[in-house]
Amino acid sequence: MLEGSLRANLLLSLPALALVLVLAGIAASVSPAFVTENNLANLTVRVLPLALVALGQALVLFAGRIDLSVGSIMSLATAVMALTSDAIGSLAIPLALSAGLLCGLFTASGVIVLRINPLVMGLATAAIVKGATLLILPSPGGAVDYAFYAAFLGGGNVLGPPLLIVLGAYALMFVFMGWTRFGRSIYAFGSDPRSALANGAVPAQIDLAVYGASGVFAALAGVFLSIRILSGDPLIGEPYTLDAVSAAILGGVALKGGRGNLIGVLFAAIALVLVNNAFNLLQLDTSYQAIAKGLIFITALVLFMRGRSVGD
Amino acid sequence: MTDARAPVLSLEGIDKAFGFNVVLRGVGFDLFAGEVLALVGENGAGKSTLMNIVSGSVRRDSGRMVLSGAAFDPRGPTDAMAKGVAIAHQETTIVPDLTVAENVFFGREPRNRLGLIRQGLMHRRCGTLMADLGFDIAPRRAGGRLSAAERHMVEIARAVLHEPSVLVLDEPTASLSARAADALVDLMGRLKARGTAIIFISHRFGEVLEAADRAVVLKDGAVTLDARRDSFDRDRLVRAMVGRTLTNVFAERPGVPSGASPVLSLDRASTRSLPPISLTVRRGEILGIAGLEGQGQTPLAEALSGLRPFMSGKVELEGRPASIRSVADAVAAGIAFIPDDRKTAGLALDLPIYMNMSLFAIGERSRFGFLPIAAEHAFAQSVRARFSIRSTDLGQPARQLSGGNQQKVVFARWLARLPKLLVLFEPTKGVDVRSKTEIYGLLGDLTAQGVAVILISSDLLELIGLSDRILTLYEGEVTAQIARPDFSEEAIMRHAAGMRADAREVARA
Repeated sequence: MLEGSLRANLLLSLPALALVLVLAGIAASVSPAFVTENNLANLTVRVLPLALVALGQALVLFAGRIDLSVGSIMSLATAVMALTSDAIGSLAIPLALSAGLLCGLFTASGVIVLRINPLVMGLATAAIVKGATLLILPSPGGAVDYAFYAAFLGGGNVLGPPLLIVLGAYALMFVFMGWTRFGRSIYAFGSDPRSALANGAVPAQIDLAVYGASGVFAALAGVFLSIRILSGDPLIGEPYTLDAVSAAILGGVALKGGRGNLIGVLFAAIALVLVNNAFNLLQLDTSYQAIAKGLIFITALVLFMRGRSVGD
Repeated sequence: MTDARAPVLSLEGIDKAFGFNVVLRGVGFDLFAGEVLALVGENGAGKSTLMNIVSGSVRRDSGRMVLSGAAFDPRGPTDAMAKGVAIAHQETTIVPDLTVAENVFFGREPRNRLGLIRQGLMHRRCGTLMADLGFDIAPRRAGGRLSAAERHMVEIARAVLHEPSVLVLDEPTASLSARAADALVDLMGRLKARGTAIIFISHRFGEVLEAADRAVVLKDGAVTLDARRDSFDRDRLVRAMVGRTLTNVFAERPGVPSGASPVLSLDRASTRSLPPISLTVRRGEILGIAGLEGQGQTPLAEALSGLRPFMSGKVELEGRPASIRSVADAVAAGIAFIPDDRKTAGLALDLPIYMNMSLFAIGERSRFGFLPIAAEHAFAQSVRARFSIRSTDLGQPARQLSGGNQQKVVFARWLARLPKLLVLFEPTKGVDVRSKTEIYGLLGDLTAQGVAVILISSDLLELIGLSDRILTLYEGEVTAQIARPDFSEEAIMRHAAGMRADAREVARA
């Protein structure tokens, strides 16, 4: 079943798996509390937003594009939740996801219609979304009812909604990317746009799909973030843009597109959260954390730029 | 086959212009089942555009296409393929990160009831297809790890996958070895027997004469010849392409005077990938190097140009020991090298044409380190006139020139200062007949001025038409030296296939 490029792509996730095992091993040996159900459940809640936003980012990267607006979209989603969930209840969730979808489609339209460089278009969307979010929610605030928390994050079991959501989303997109013709055309387009085009791939469809999906997953990540903090925050998503790209690259996704798979991205997201936790335990200043993240990003890039196939 | 049968594909009055550039003017012909039609013409004659229209990636401006009795207006390549017209592109479209099977089946992968791709089945089917076509390529290999010839085979396999009624092969043999090209001609025969109609574009007349049932010649976007096999020959094709006969292609050159001094002599010179070789080329002489693909031509060319220098043996330039350790050394010593791959080694494709023309030549005219722009333009104008380079605007990027015109720009660089030795590696690969003729004429001018030329080529007619002497290479060694009176395609092929001339003859080389 795992034949051809699927197998090659799966191998790219091994380093991230190894990293998770090493980090978990260290954590377990340093602190016996690490393997308790309570801690693992807590860890899942922490992994959830990064895993979702990295999933969307990976889809964009497969197509050889990049989405630098995901952090702003996350913030927007928290604001939408904080401002509307009191009034419309759980309908706030689809509202936030729609907002994310629109942001993604906006980026794609700029790329398709105005032929703006995708990286720059993402930055522009990020600025616009950030501004709009600050307009509706100038400072952290608003409220998300505890009922959401109780329903989605409050169980304290490992086998709760957060884990099921993450695994469900990843399984769905993993099958989509690996075993559907459209998923295959996304990989092909990222690997070599000219060849994919000549064989019937339609770039506009691909851009709309990957940016749209990225917007939705970023918004979903924001929704869970707002449920966790029980409020909205117009800037909370910012650091997730780099983290999402980091997780994807560390998970074996090629920045140039066409390579990698989602299982690696999930492992990498877990690894990054473990690293974050370690920083917190060591009571490392957030400025140092930012510097460390940048260095991790560069390391991941250097590691995975090798071994690209001949001809690129 | 009789014309009374309805054609599979018929084209009528096809016009196409890109901006003000008219590419096709009222092109029309019919294609019948089980027919191999060779589409011949100079580069820029409109062949590729016409085939892109037929295969759905370019839309025509006007005219009609009828496929199996129904109007044929493909919305794109996928649509054309679904309707039975498939193309194998000259510039292959193989996705590097997908496997061979995934490339062959792209967009047409076998799926289960849930719409999911059946990877295992697909790779097995690809194996069967490859075996059927006689291609030795494993379905699980990554597209990015294939050689140029293998990429072409995968491209062809993809085109024939769903047994199209019309198969278009755009220069399928350009990158293939002679053996692989033969296999392809053989394959065309088998597909034809199954009733497939094939259009193939080729610059190799031998192939066209061997494989085609019919030839259609395009010149400046219009059909100038549409003839059946029994009514065309090499000469008629060339006349229809350029409006002159083949004998004019090679200019008469006086022989090399017997006392001409040697420019370069190699005495058992070798590199890591080239066994010791000895040869001499004299002033005003064209020394042809013949051989099948990969018999040491590349290491020889790279050694002469300083890319991968000679490691041992004696190298003498104009009678004095010379040491060529780098490309810069070679250039300083007056050795000009024109590589076989203009795109990567010869031209800065994104720079304007005039800059490409002057890249090296202008160095000698710079003042205080600055390039005299006016002189650069004047130089470019004179070069364009002399080479009849067909471009209205020398400020265009070189990428926009046709293959033949690109090659002329590469030659142009060496015009300002005559080299002592000019090393040519497949100088007319992918170059149209008119540009070829001009390049051949230029070689005549250069040798008349005393330039020595080493011509490494796989085009036998070119070697025979131009060379004063021909050496044949086989596995890196010289198997024979053939003098002009003894030139024949058979003699060259015999020695290129490894038959050694007697030792006495070789020693005289």
